[in-house]
Amino acid sequence: MNAWRCHDRVGSHVWGRWLLTLALIYVFGRLAVPRPLVVLDPPQTVVTRNALVGVHTRLTDEVEAWKIQRTLRMVGQMGAPWTVEYFPWPYIEPARGQYAWGHTDQVVAHARNQGVSVVARLGWTPEWAQPETAEIETTLTYLDPSAYDAFARFVATFAARYRGRVDHVIIWNEPNLSFEWGYRPVDPAAYVALLQAVYPLAKAANPDLVILAGALAPTLESPGSLAGLNDLLYLQEMYQAGASPFFDALAAHAYGLQSPPEADPAPDVLNFRRVELLRQIMVTHGDAEKPIYVTEAGWNDHPRWTMAVSPAQRIRYTIGAYEWAKEHWPWCPLVAMWTFRLPAARHNYRDNYTFVTVEFDPKPIYLEVQAYTGGQ
Amino acid sequence: MTRCIAVLGWLTLVLTLGGCAGESDLNWQRIQEQGVLRVGMEANWVPFEYVDGAGQLSGFDVELARMLGERLGLQVQFYPNLSFDGLYDALTAERVDVVISAVVVDMNRSADFAYSVSYFEAGQVLVVKGAGVDEVQDLGGRVLAVELGAAGDTLARRWARRLEGLTLNHTESAQAALDAGATGQADAALMDRASALMALKADPECDLRLSGEPVTDERYAVVTLKENRGLLGAVNDALDDMRRDGTLAQLALKWLGP
Repeated sequence: MNAWRCHDRVGSHVWGRWLLTLALIYVFGRLAVPRPLVVLDPPQTVVTRNALVGVHTRLTDEVEAWKIQRTLRMVGQMGAPWTVEYFPWPYIEPARGQYAWGHTDQVVAHARNQGVSVVARLGWTPEWAQPETAEIETTLTYLDPSAYDAFARFVATFAARYRGRVDHVIIWNEPNLSFEWGYRPVDPAAYVALLQAVYPLAKAANPDLVILAGALAPTLESPGSLAGLNDLLYLQEMYQAGASPFFDALAAHAYGLQSPPEADPAPDVLNFRRVELLRQIMVTHGDAEKPIYVTEAGWNDHPRWTMAVSPAQRIRYTIGAYEWAKEHWPWCPLVAMWTFRLPAARHNYRDNYTFVTVEFDPKPIYLEVQAYTGGQ
Repeated sequence: MTRCIAVLGWLTLVLTLGGCAGESDLNWQRIQEQGVLRVGMEANWVPFEYVDGAGQLSGFDVELARMLGERLGLQVQFYPNLSFDGLYDALTAERVDVVISAVVVDMNRSADFAYSVSYFEAGQVLVVKGAGVDEVQDLGGRVLAVELGAAGDTLARRWARRLEGLTLNHTESAQAALDAGATGQADAALMDRASALMALKADPECDLRLSGEPVTDERYAVVTLKENRGLLGAVNDALDDMRRDGTLAQLALKWLGP
């Protein structure tokens, strides 16, 4: 009798705990802020009068799925069939051989859903691939030659996973600037060695992959400068180091600063058409058939930045740049303006590169480009 | 036991808050002892702060800073060469005590910074000629001139979606928008209040006027670190006095026009 009573007490005690647990789960579940359910739209096609119109999105640090979807939806609706997006190696392969594809999968899926093609910039170095800190303090942009093979494997893995969905990758970013090269003296030959490590593995993973080299920053820094090296000279040295077999296209940055898009290029001038000087170098070295993708460009209209233009000029120049490339650059498939939207305001002049506010309000430049492209 | 814990908790709370107040009073105390108010600005924004033809630091904010220093019994030391992007950093790094540089109140920064009462309203205003447009609702069926891509353009496009018959006349500059209003190509122009006042001051014959109060909230304020309560209180008291005795109005009249 006592044993049964004891058993009953224990049983009811356990059930009571379960019921309490379930009740608490129910209560807190009701209190929790519901996340928006994000489902893909019906497959979209970008309507545009200019197929090379693009923007650089900044979804790297945008964690909410609805914001990723909304960003890419607005890109397509603006009439831009291209986006350049950054996929940091440390985010995707935080430990050797272990991959976290969730965020990248989302971005790629939503871009494809909206009819927007992705050019993927790959770079930065995860901690496990950096030199031991006891030997040297390094930054995310420091890629030691001993890690070139690891980076190449990452690029190949990325290429294989997204084959048919992402067929353009940019290898590193602005290697002609010291702070983008791990705060080391820039080294075109070392960059070419990186391309040489990446190219065969990436091509084996996806023979259709277009491998973009460079993403060179427009700069007038002279040889020996601690800040970096003139992009024209850097490209020359890349060719001298044997770069040609190891890239399919060049990525270039073409900021207009305070000049209109049609301003003539010159070796000592930074403007939109400086890209044509890069083109000349490529042609000289037998790479006339290789395209140049402008993966960053644009003008800034901050009222208090010394290198800015007026808002009206920014709109005119931006559309003028898209039109100039379409009319005069048959070798250029893409002009991507920096930057479509930032996940959070920077509270400085950089906010004035955007087309859409943090709250997704379209700025006048978005509406004017949309009118230009005929986007919907 | 419970009472002891409650008393200890209360004491902790009081001491903590008291400590915070103490730290901010120490800052204000330091400033008063040293007799110097360090003012940060980017002197590249006419007519608020700039270097004039004679190489002298001039402008609304410069004169405002001197007036504040006088009322607070402090000598003002200017740091006029800060980059606009670095003004808040200069406060954080305690290189300056306040920033007076046509800074718009940004409540997103209120976790770290505190703003004084406003000393100038810089929001968007309607500029009109004659009668007929006194407020936004009067723009229905009319033409509004606005600088393409400017902050007012975003607002104007929003109005155009809601007000039947409102037509936008996009111009290349704020002056061109005013010209459109003056010549009758537009019924009104929309721009920031400072630009409007300066344009009207420069051409008093143009027969244009500001129609009512600003339609957006863009208040200029003195900025300091959030913990500088003593300093902020003193600045606010001085600005309130300057508003009451007409000093702020005179300052605006001098640098911007009626």
